[in-house]
Amino acid sequence: MFMLKAHRRSFSGGVHPPEGKHLAEDRAIEPGPATKELAVLLSQHIGAPARPLVKKGDTVTAGQAIGECQGFVSAPVHAPVAGKVKDIALQPHAVLGRSLAVIIEAQMQTPPQPPAFVRPAHFDPAAYTSAQIGAAVREAGIVGMGGAGFPTSVKIQPDTKTPKEVLVVNGCECEPYITCDYRVMLEWTDQVLTGIQLARQACGATRVFLAIEDNKPRAIEHMNASLARLGLASDIQLVPVKTKYPQGGERQLIRAVLQKTVPTGSIPPAIGVVVSNVQTTAAIAEAVVHGRPLTHRVVTVTGEGIARPGNYYVPIGTPVQALIDHCGGRTKDSARVVLGGPMMGIAAADLSTPITKTGGAVTVLTARQIGKGATQRPTPCIRCGRCVRVCPEHLCPTKIAHAVKNNLMDLAVQYHVGACMECGCCTYVCPANVDLTGYIKTGKIYLARQKKKMPA
Amino acid sequence: MIETISPDLSIGFAPHARKALSTQRIMLDVILGLLPAVFAAGLYFRLHGLLLIAVSVASCLAAEATCNLIRRKPNSLWDLSAAVTGVILALSMPPALPLWAVVIGAVFAIAVGKMVFGGLGANIFNPAMVGRAFLTASFGILMTTWTVPATIDSALAPVAPTNNIMDIRTQATPLAWSKVAIKDANGARIYNERHPLWSGLFGEKAGSLGETSALALLVGGLYLVIRRIIGVHIPLAVLASAFVFATVTYLISPDKFVQPFYHLTSGALLLGAFFIATDPVTAPLTVRGQWIFGILIGSFTMLVRVVGEYPEGFMYAVLLANSVRPLIDKFVRPVPVGGVPNV
Repeated sequence: MFMLKAHRRSFSGGVHPPEGKHLAEDRAIEPGPATKELAVLLSQHIGAPARPLVKKGDTVTAGQAIGECQGFVSAPVHAPVAGKVKDIALQPHAVLGRSLAVIIEAQMQTPPQPPAFVRPAHFDPAAYTSAQIGAAVREAGIVGMGGAGFPTSVKIQPDTKTPKEVLVVNGCECEPYITCDYRVMLEWTDQVLTGIQLARQACGATRVFLAIEDNKPRAIEHMNASLARLGLASDIQLVPVKTKYPQGGERQLIRAVLQKTVPTGSIPPAIGVVVSNVQTTAAIAEAVVHGRPLTHRVVTVTGEGIARPGNYYVPIGTPVQALIDHCGGRTKDSARVVLGGPMMGIAAADLSTPITKTGGAVTVLTARQIGKGATQRPTPCIRCGRCVRVCPEHLCPTKIAHAVKNNLMDLAVQYHVGACMECGCCTYVCPANVDLTGYIKTGKIYLARQKKKMPA
Repeated sequence: MIETISPDLSIGFAPHARKALSTQRIMLDVILGLLPAVFAAGLYFRLHGLLLIAVSVASCLAAEATCNLIRRKPNSLWDLSAAVTGVILALSMPPALPLWAVVIGAVFAIAVGKMVFGGLGANIFNPAMVGRAFLTASFGILMTTWTVPATIDSALAPVAPTNNIMDIRTQATPLAWSKVAIKDANGARIYNERHPLWSGLFGEKAGSLGETSALALLVGGLYLVIRRIIGVHIPLAVLASAFVFATVTYLISPDKFVQPFYHLTSGALLLGAFFIATDPVTAPLTVRGQWIFGILIGSFTMLVRVVGEYPEGFMYAVLLANSVRPLIDKFVRPVPVGGVPNV
């Protein structure tokens, strides 16, 4: 039993929702739709939105910067295709509601093709300085592509106070249904591994781990073989971790891989750890080796409510509707379109919402998959404590949710509402069908507004 | 822009998936877990035993429906929590209790034990125990009249003085015996000789409807644990603390106190450890809190059994622990993984 535990590294708490990976995991990355109009949002990351560099009527070339950094924690955005700036206007944004975007009318409508990546023979990351890598990553507008969207250049810059000793590359993809990182690991292996080497060179980490959930044996096998092929087996340690949601949460991953704890309210660099998503490392390699900005990403279009699930190479700014049409449209029983996966994704009512750098999936769910959450009213909390037992951060979700519901924000703070990462495990298990995560999110927004960090 | 919104799509907070487990299903599982004990009640106390259970459940449901009507609240019978209260209340009744008495107990349990607090999830005390406490206080003799199980050969002389108030054959419960034993020098030894272990296991002894058969309760309890309806912490804490308490008293004076095993299999300890103390509404939220809660119940039960005036103290132990439960939840909170932040 103890042996088993040691081999299946994990964290305490968590849930096992239906994985749904079978829908798209065997679909190779294909070119996405050729869209006439792309809306490139200026805010696709944590931090200050980019400032537009073009105006209405300008012509832009593919890869041209169309928005520049505004502040230290920020990222530029680039035109994915050549064309004309049709407008700079508010567009639906998955998180912010509405946000400014550069709308580009594409010159030619050709399906997007991923450019070839050539790993230089005898590649040596030491040929680049940390500053060079950081600058290239910043110019390319790379942000964390796993979902949070923290500017990568800031994340991988070295720190003299608390040296970034460990780099954990996140290939868990614990979110159900999504398979884009899995396909990237299988098909873009050279980019991923080259990017890991560069990220390590940039932040000065002495140890590097690549964590993959053990429900992806093919990825683990393939990565092991590739590490051996490139002679990196001694540099990068592959760590299979237990398949459990939210294994890919960075705090949970650090717990599983390093048995270390990130203090509440802090971030991994505080304990000298950097966590980066595999697709982000692939983008780093593209940016540093070939000087390509981040203008496309792999998006999984999946779910029981879509005709042809698959993984697509998609220009950033493509409207969700175009992707859905490209995959044969929604089925008759489709009930909800989620940007992201079923556990943490955001339900979209407006399908003109554009794909962003952080949006790895469009999941179309049917009423059956959504379950009682869509149809049944909540019943009283019976204090069964299931939410407490599954909370990966060891919080007391029912207490926080009821405090928020009754507008007792002091109590919510006492129960550490701010430490919640909104993974959704509590809502998932709640037999009373209480939207615990929803209340907690509301409470966090409410508190942020009280502190005037967020506009009303 | 509004016209781009698709009206056929639903929205909602993440997660967009729910586990197929409802309060109703949990309550149904508790009822299923109680079925072996219900079967044992039918076996040993025949028709009247089953009637008591049926009347108790019906009264609980009727009381809940009436309260909902008065409070203008939606119907809540289908969450089955009232039915669970009904079964547990009946199983904690003496087998020969008149039906009208259990009706009073059931109505009190639901109306005063649960609905006045706001219904399911809001009550402080276990409703079934509130109903039982009310009956014990009101009808002392009826509530301590213990029928001999129907399977015991009527030719055998009763092992204790009979009580003819209700014109039925009665017998002292094992715990009443152990009480006698404390006062009588050789009582415990005689008791231990007369009562083979298996009588406690199968339930061929006097006691409340559902508490006599340890085997039935263990089977039902195990079902709940396997189905993950209850955690093992509370039953384990209750039984282990009671066992330790009983072992200590037995070691101090084996002549005065009965063997620890008898304490575990007699009285309401097994029924309570698996089905009453584990009522989620009235138990602490955290595992650490549940250990404290269980130990409190186990040791207080034994305290009443050993030094109190009553032979059995489980009901009072549960009510006492229920009353300190908010305090336990206040002080025993889960600590965030990353420690308490310095704000």
